Amino acid sequence: MTTEPLLLAQNLAVRYPNGELALHNVTFQIKSPSFMAIIGPNGSGKSTLLKTFLGLIHPFRGCIKVNGLDSVKESGKIRKMVRYVPQRDQIELTVPMKVKDIVLMGRLLKKMPPRFASSNDIRIARNALEQVNMIDLWDRPFPELSGGQRQRVLVARALASEGSILVLDEPLAGTDAESQDQIVEALGRYHKENDVSIIMVTHDLNPVHTLVQDVLLLKNTVIGTGAPCSVMDPELMKRVYGPTARIVEYAGHRYCMTRDSGIDRHD
Amino acid sequence: MIDILQLIIDSPFLQRAIIATVLVAIVAAASGTFLVFRGLSFMASGVAHAALGGTALGIFLQDSGLIPWFDPILGALLFSVLVAVFTGYAGESGITQKMEVAVGVSFALSMSLAVFLMYYIPPYRVPQIWGYLIGDILLLNNIDVIMLASTSVLLGFITLMFNKEFVYVSVDMEGSVAHGMNARAYHYLMLIVSALAIALATKAVGAILVYAIMVAPAAASNELVKSVSGVILSVFLIALVAELVGIATSFVVYVSPSAIAGILAALSYLLALQIKRMRERVHVDLPDSKTESNDPTDTFIESLSTNEGHEHHHDH
Repeated sequence: MTTEPLLLAQNLAVRYPNGELALHNVTFQIKSPSFMAIIGPNGSGKSTLLKTFLGLIHPFRGCIKVNGLDSVKESGKIRKMVRYVPQRDQIELTVPMKVKDIVLMGRLLKKMPPRFASSNDIRIARNALEQVNMIDLWDRPFPELSGGQRQRVLVARALASEGSILVLDEPLAGTDAESQDQIVEALGRYHKENDVSIIMVTHDLNPVHTLVQDVLLLKNTVIGTGAPCSVMDPELMKRVYGPTARIVEYAGHRYCMTRDSGIDRHD
Repeated sequence: MIDILQLIIDSPFLQRAIIATVLVAIVAAASGTFLVFRGLSFMASGVAHAALGGTALGIFLQDSGLIPWFDPILGALLFSVLVAVFTGYAGESGITQKMEVAVGVSFALSMSLAVFLMYYIPPYRVPQIWGYLIGDILLLNNIDVIMLASTSVLLGFITLMFNKEFVYVSVDMEGSVAHGMNARAYHYLMLIVSALAIALATKAVGAILVYAIMVAPAAASNELVKSVSGVILSVFLIALVAELVGIATSFVVYVSPSAIAGILAALSYLLALQIKRMRERVHVDLPDSKTESNDPTDTFIESLSTNEGHEHHHDH
């Protein structure tokens, strides 16, 4: 299985539900295992790419494979190995879920009905919440948490689940500094200690720069792939983020400053 | 007390009414709760009115001799399932607004059809259609109760089995699918079984009361109770009490039991809102007074330290 690439896209094209082309001529390959970031500005098709390889959206042309499994024909097998953190606003807050209910979801979704939580499930769920420093809120109503706290609980849900690929859609968007640090730290630790691949969509690479092994830079098609520092090229960045993008070197790494970077920390 | 028991034992219609009361409360707890969780409370009303349209079609087919064996209740069930499937199809992506629109359209369509067919139905059968709107829990026959009982038991069983799935579909449809759950199947299962139960409950208590009993207790409980099982239990109790008080009142005062039950159910929601507001007032007061007592320099220092946090981030 390790010989198969984590992601392999060939001439992939995907449309938005309204018919507009979200991605075109997407061809790339990422080896497995990896800690991978998919970056690009708003509307560049990052989340669409992610939903396509999860089989939630069907490609309009071409194909994408996850560990050698086709996203359309073998989506069932892909979903068995995936744990997914959706964008935070996808979570409906009208249901009175407690923090523990959300984290246990990660365990129970992989079971058959009637999905009872065993003591082992509860132990793993508590451990996952400890990873993001949220264990004290175990019994708290999920809708009453702050945005950053909710995001941490969702990451804990993925950590508690099973499967060799963690997929996160903008896990750092709109989070406070503390939550961001906790999430980045937990993901880094988890990737080091376990045999898992992490695929993360983010509009800001900087917080995870030192953890990430492969970067895919998107703007409706592949602009660049490679290690973080090689993608942080002034020419590439200007093509994607416009003339205001700057590259800053710090502690031997290259970071990109756009008008987007760090913007979420102010709310 | 003995008098009341004696009265119940002596009057089969009252026994049937009390059984139906419990059954409707089960339907409210099982399906009303999940409809409110999904932001789909309007569907209870849509299905109830579709049942009315279906009944009109049933009576027309039977009376015109086109399909003589077609019982009106079959029309009601058929239409309610159609509404559920239509709504489910519109909401497959998990977007509630689309489902609300689908419910609205089917509501309009089935009511229009009912009114259209009324011109071709002999006048003496028209009240049967209006019966679906007002309903009367004291006029149920044995068949009504048996049918309502069997669907309520089915609905209760399915809810017990799959309540986690129904919650997951409501909370995070996309995440549930991505983790390998067949969310689409549960999405339809929940809507169709709810629709069948609501259609039969409509025959028992009328479309307007079904809406009140299905939605108001669930909305009230969801404001105050902080767990899914707590909400289900609380809905059952509110619905049961409202209906029983309705029946009891109708013996003392000349009034429709459904009307009293509907008013009580709606009042429970207003009460819940008020209680919630009072709770929140207490919540907000505490931290406010705390910051006021703080030294302004503390706030200043605090703001400096958050600024440092930002710069630190930009350095990275």
